[in-house]
Amino acid sequence: MMIVAEKMLVTVSPHLHKKDETIERAMKDVLIALTPAAVWALVVFGFNVVYILAVSCITAALSEVIMRKLLKRKATLRDYSAMVTAVLFAFLLPPTTPLWVVAIGAFLAVGIGKELFGGLGKNPFNPAIFGRLLLWFSPLAVYTTKFVEPFFWKTSGFFTPIATSINEGAVGRVVYKTMAGNPVDIATAATPLSLLKSGKWLPDMVAGPTPVGATWVTSGGKPSFWSLFLGAKSGCIGEVCILALIIGGAYLLWRGTIDWRIPAGIIGTLFLLTLVTWYHPVYNLFSGGLFLGAFFMATDWVTSPVSKRGKWIFAVGIGATVFILRFWSLRPEGVALAIFFWNIGTLVIDRYIAVPRFGEVGNKVFNQLPALPEPAPEPAKKRA
Amino acid sequence: MSGKATYKTFKGGIHPPYNKELASGKAIQAAPLPREVFIPLQQHIGAPNEPLVGPGDRVELGQKIGSNEAFVSAPVHSPVAGTVKEIADVAGFTEAKVKCVVITPDAEQPGFAKQNRDVTALSDEDIRSIAREAGLVGMGGAAFPTHVKLTPPKDKPVDTVIINACECEPFLTCDHRVMLERPHDLVQGLKLLVRAVNAKKGVIGIEANKMDAVDAVRDAAKGEGGIEVEILEVKYPEGAEKMLIYALTGRKVPPGKLPSEVGCLVQNVGTAVALFEAAAWGKPLYERVLTVTGPGIKEPGNLLARIGTPISVLIEACGGFVGSPGKVIMGGPMTGWAQPDTKAPIVKGTSGIVVLTPETVDVGTEEECVRCGKCVDVCPMFLMPNFIVQSVKKGQWDRAEMWGALDCFECGCCSFTCPAYIPHVDYVRRAKTEIAALKRR
Ligand code: SF4
Ligand code: SF4
Repeated sequence: MMIVAEKMLVTVSPHLHKKDETIERAMKDVLIALTPAAVWALVVFGFNVVYILAVSCITAALSEVIMRKLLKRKATLRDYSAMVTAVLFAFLLPPTTPLWVVAIGAFLAVGIGKELFGGLGKNPFNPAIFGRLLLWFSPLAVYTTKFVEPFFWKTSGFFTPIATSINEGAVGRVVYKTMAGNPVDIATAATPLSLLKSGKWLPDMVAGPTPVGATWVTSGGKPSFWSLFLGAKSGCIGEVCILALIIGGAYLLWRGTIDWRIPAGIIGTLFLLTLVTWYHPVYNLFSGGLFLGAFFMATDWVTSPVSKRGKWIFAVGIGATVFILRFWSLRPEGVALAIFFWNIGTLVIDRYIAVPRFGEVGNKVFNQLPALPEPAPEPAKKRA
Repeated sequence: MSGKATYKTFKGGIHPPYNKELASGKAIQAAPLPREVFIPLQQHIGAPNEPLVGPGDRVELGQKIGSNEAFVSAPVHSPVAGTVKEIADVAGFTEAKVKCVVITPDAEQPGFAKQNRDVTALSDEDIRSIAREAGLVGMGGAAFPTHVKLTPPKDKPVDTVIINACECEPFLTCDHRVMLERPHDLVQGLKLLVRAVNAKKGVIGIEANKMDAVDAVRDAAKGEGGIEVEILEVKYPEGAEKMLIYALTGRKVPPGKLPSEVGCLVQNVGTAVALFEAAAWGKPLYERVLTVTGPGIKEPGNLLARIGTPISVLIEACGGFVGSPGKVIMGGPMTGWAQPDTKAPIVKGTSGIVVLTPETVDVGTEEECVRCGKCVDVCPMFLMPNFIVQSVKKGQWDRAEMWGALDCFECGCCSFTCPAYIPHVDYVRRAKTEIAALKRR
């Protein structure tokens, strides 16, 4: 009568798992969501973008494999998180960043920013932002702060890889060449935010129709709304097309991969603050890395708070910090820095901001450790 | 889920695949008589019973075979007429061994001799002692002695008795079948419960995926004053005591408190029917309806089985396994216990046996928490499951308590939705044990 059965699995309840809810699936979702912005970057900045993405991804993958070997951890390359970091990191760079600088940055992001801190889940900072900021505060910064005109490839050639050299001839001078060393005629251009910061709009001369019909600047020399929104503007690879970022962000929201509170809190806060101070509210929203940061960087699972309440504090904090940096600091852009600050803030929010339990009475604001008797001298450390 | 009427519910929770159609259309059948029954002496939360019989003793159907004087306990009865073979330690449905009365049934079994009592004359005191004598416990899984629940503290009167008819666990359909086939007995049972605690009304909460049961029970309750049938959203764990009370009444049971704190009492469908049987027929709780189902079962169905029947007998009664089983779960798939074999006997709290095939088992490998916050979003108690796990890993028991380990009722929503496949419930149980040990010092 006894039924003989081999291999009956015994694990603790629950015995069901949500379909397709895996780390790998979420990372793939982010990669899918980043595709529209990548495609648009290709249109605006030419094939050089692909070279940068490729170098970033290959370096990130190698960094992860090598670092995990060195640190004696099990391989996790299959979770695609290194790829997500690599693409986001590349998105934060100007489209003419030299490839060797890209490689160094990608290693800093994945090898140091993620793996050295303990790997996915333990890294306190968003790895892409960590890598970007290290570059920013390094002697290599000059390579990553010079921006070029959109559609510059019309003069240099769509597929031409661009080699940038800095300080050639004079300090602060940028020279763009082909890989073979022939100079190409590429104009540097201020980003919309640095235009705003300096108060000097573009000379009318650079105004002209773009391939998508919108003009880069209006007659007053101010970048037009459509050029800002559709991405015919100077800036970092991934940040230019707001529409593409919204499409990608909407996909992630629909998939349940990111929490709407974070983008809504960041964008809403910045909009409100610029509205109240009448500091070009719409222009401010659609310039710089706000949408890229709000949808793809601040929403990083590992480095944002876990509770809804925490997420609101985090998002409003980032929005306010971006405003402060843009309004008062010398740098035109501040999204990456703001997210970095609030990555640190996350540790505090998670530990101290209380989430009242079901049925709990009173308005508890901060978590307090309950008083338990001292653990036995040998703390019971049973491991699963 | 969109586009449909919105029903009462709670915050948080999940929508697992329900798979109720496997067994919901199958009428309740009597399970076969096993060659031996194993009656665990403790099938409830509380003091264990002492055996009242010894090897070689003759027992009759429904005879009390184990009891304890302690208030928080419930006696057990023989589900068969037969001979006691031995009192032995047998592997139960959890990892622990349990002391069982092993009985060899006679080949010919008598039917239960129903008495026909008038239940309208019973006082609250009568109903409580009937519940106790019949060995009634919560039949949804927790198995808390019913008469204890029917004795709320004097200063906390109960005004609403709630029947948990959600059956929010995926796969299970036994309560659904009982509501369809015996709606009148359910309503009579509820009336007894209401009377036992002098409540104002009784409410039966049914999830919206069982509209036929809603109709059946509404019909049965027609003309009965003070009995309401409410439809609830299909969401897990709608049937958890605190969630159900909140969904139906808007009252929140504070952490660490019992439903009587907010004037409520929750009982399961099976328990209400069993109370009716005990009061009207004099029948003790020695058999129950349970669902044997899952993709790994040939002919899923709902069986009326004697307590103490080994699960192998019930699986065979349902056509056996499809291929080789991946997981055999005693109880529902969200809170049930995976079995290493099919020897364990069913108890009063066993609502089903769910068999998954190797292909439908999704265990994954436990990864590092990626702090996605999904477990926090779904936790119906608003705890921090991820931080409980983190604290347990570090042996920081005060932190585990701060994050809510003691308020976790192990519903499993967190693990269901965790992309890192972390078995939170495992960690929570460890935390509860350790914290209890610390508090005892
Ligand atoms: S922590 Fe406990 S109560 Fe919360 S979802 Fe997990 S198992 Fe359920
Ligand atoms: S769902 Fe899992 S991975 Fe996400 S925060 Fe909770 S424990 Fe961590």
